[in-house]
Amino acid sequence: MLGNIIELTAITVFFISFYGLITSRGVIKSIISIGIMEVSIVVFFLSFGYEKGIKPPIGQEIVNAADPLPQALVITAIIIGVALTAVNLTMLISLKREFNATEWDILKDRTHPEFNKNI
Amino acid sequence: MLTYFVIVPLLTAVFLYVFSSAKIVRIIAIIAQAILASFATQLFFLCKKGDIITTIGNYESVLGITLRADTLSSVFVVLVTFAFFIAALYSLNEQQNKLFWLLLFIWEGLLIGIFLTRDLFNVFVLMEVAMVVVSILIMFNRDNRSMYDGMFFLMVNIVVMQFYLFGVGYVYKLTGVLDMEAAALVLSEIDKSSLILPFALIMTAVGLKCALVPLYSWLPKAHGTAGAPSAISALLSGVHIKSGVYLFMRIIPIFQNIDASWFFLWAGILTGIVGFIFAMSQSDIKLVLAYHTISQIGMIVASLSIGDSYSYMGGLYHAINHALFKAALFLSAGVIYEAYGTRNVYEIRGVFKRFPLVGMATAMAILGITGAPLFNGSISKYFIMSGTNRITSFALTFINLGTIVSFIKYSTMLYGKSDFAGEAVKISINKQLSIFILGLLCFVGGILGEEFIEFLFNVQVSVDAAGYLQKVAYFVASVVVGYFIYKYFVLKSSLLKRIKEIDLGFRAICVSIGAFFAFLLIAAKFSVG
Repeated sequence: MLGNIIELTAITVFFISFYGLITSRGVIKSIISIGIMEVSIVVFFLSFGYEKGIKPPIGQEIVNAADPLPQALVITAIIIGVALTAVNLTMLISLKREFNATEWDILKDRTHPEFNKNI
Repeated sequence: MLTYFVIVPLLTAVFLYVFSSAKIVRIIAIIAQAILASFATQLFFLCKKGDIITTIGNYESVLGITLRADTLSSVFVVLVTFAFFIAALYSLNEQQNKLFWLLLFIWEGLLIGIFLTRDLFNVFVLMEVAMVVVSILIMFNRDNRSMYDGMFFLMVNIVVMQFYLFGVGYVYKLTGVLDMEAAALVLSEIDKSSLILPFALIMTAVGLKCALVPLYSWLPKAHGTAGAPSAISALLSGVHIKSGVYLFMRIIPIFQNIDASWFFLWAGILTGIVGFIFAMSQSDIKLVLAYHTISQIGMIVASLSIGDSYSYMGGLYHAINHALFKAALFLSAGVIYEAYGTRNVYEIRGVFKRFPLVGMATAMAILGITGAPLFNGSISKYFIMSGTNRITSFALTFINLGTIVSFIKYSTMLYGKSDFAGEAVKISINKQLSIFILGLLCFVGGILGEEFIEFLFNVQVSVDAAGYLQKVAYFVASVVVGYFIYKYFVLKSSLLKRIKEIDLGFRAICVSIGAFFAFLLIAAKFSVG
C-alpha cells in the first residue's frame, strides 16, 4: 500500500517537472526541472523495494533485507545527475558571459543571427 | 575479454593526455586506432564461431553486468573502430590539441560499450557519459552557434534519458533483472497491460535517439552545426546515430508482447519524408547532409519494422552503408569548406576540377545514398523494397525520389565553373585518402553486395536480376523526374524558404517529447487491446 503511494508520488512529481520543462523560459529553470525529474526517479526506485518490516541491506547476516540492487543503481544515477547538472551549468555560464542572456529564445536569437535576417 | 574493448580506449585516452607531447600524440593515436580496428576484426571472426560472453565481476550471467558479442554487435564494433580510424586519419594534421584526442578515444570506448553491453542500466550510464563527451566535442572550436547547439543537444538528451531510466525502473520492478535476454523471457509471461507504460517510456528515449518524426530537431543542430570539426560531424552521423538504431533492434524484442511495429513503420516513413523536405530547403551543405541523416534513419527504422526478414537484412545493411557514405560526405564537406571558405551550396562550383580525388569520392557517396545501380545503396534499398506491400513501397520510392532531388542540388557543386578568386588551398594527402577510402567502399559494397551481407551477417540472400533491373529503371525514371522537380520547384519555390525557417526551440521539443510519449501510449494500448 505505502509502496503504491510512493510510486504514484514519483510519477506525479516526474510529470510536474516535465510541465516545468515545457513552460520555463529560462535555462536555469530547465536545469532545475531536470534535477527534480532525477529526484522523482530516485523516489521511484526506492519505492519498489518496500515491504512492511523490511530492513536496510547493510551489514552481514541480516534476514528480511530489502533488495540492494535498486539502491546501487540509484547511487550511480545520482552521481551521473550531479555531474550532468554541473556540466550544464558550466555551459550556461560560458554562454551567459558571451551573450549576456539566460533565456532559451534570446540565446537562440543571439547565437543564430542568420535566422533573423528576413524579419 | 570483452571488457578490454571498452577499457583499452579509455586507458589509451588518459595515457595520451598525460604522457605524450603535442607532437607525437597524433602518431600514437593513429597507431592505436589501427591496432584497435584490427582487434575488432579479430573479434568479428571469433564471433562467427559463436557468441562471446563476459560477465563483469564473475557473477552468474543474469545477476552481473553482461557484455555479449554476437554477429550483430561485433559488426557494429568493427564499424565503430573503422570509422574512428578514418576520422583519426582525417584529422591527423588538423588537430594538434591533446584534449581532442582524449575525448575521441573516450567516445570510442563508450560507443563500443553501448554496442556490447546487454544490461539495460549499463546502457543508460554509457549513453549519459557519451552525451557529455559528444557535446564537448561539438563545441570544441568555441564557435558561437555550436556552443548553443552543444548545450541544446545535451539538455534534450538528458531529459529523454530520464524517461529511459524511469522505464528501466519499471522493467526491474516487473522482472527483477536488468539483463536484456532475461528480461525478455520474464516479460513474455507477464500480463500485457502492465507493459504499456515501461514500453512507452523506453521507446520515447529510443525514438529520440533515432530522431523519429516529432523528435528530430536536435539532430541538425548537433550534426550540422557549423563550428564542429568535420571529423566529429562525420562520426556523429556515421556511427553515433547507429547506437539509437542498435538500441531499437535490442529493445523491441524485449517487449515482444506489444506489437507496435505499425507505429514505427509509419513514424519511420514520415521521418523519411520530413527529412528530405527540410534537406531540399537548406543551402548550407552541412545542414543538407544532417537532414538527410534524419531521412535515411527514418527509412532504416521503417525497414526494421516491416516484419520481413529480407527487409530487416536490407535495413541492417543500409545502416552500415549509411555510415560509409555519410561519413564520406561529411568529411568531403569539411574539405570543401576549407578550400572555398563558404558552406553555401549555390556558391560552390567546380569541385571535380580542383580536387579530382575528393570530387570522385563525393560522387560515389552521392550515388550510394541515392541508390544508383552498382553502388551499395542500391543493394540495401533493393532488399528493403522486397518485403514491402504496395503502399509502403510507394512511400519508400517517394522518399528515394526526394533524396535524389536534393542530391541533384548537392551535386551541382561538383561541376561548373568556379568563380573562386582566393588563394589556392592545398588539401593534405591524408584527408584526400581517408575520403577516397570511404567513397571506394561505397562502390565495392555495391558490386559485392550479396557477398558482403553473407560475410557480415551469415545470411544468404540473393538479388533477382529481373527485379534489380526493374529497380534500375525506377532509378533512371526518378532521376529524370527529380531533375524537373529540382529545376521547376526547388529553385523557385517560396514554400521551401518558409520551411527553412522552421526551427523548434527547447520548449517545443519538450512538448513534442510529451506528444510522442502520448502517441506511443495509445499505440501500445491499441495493440494490447
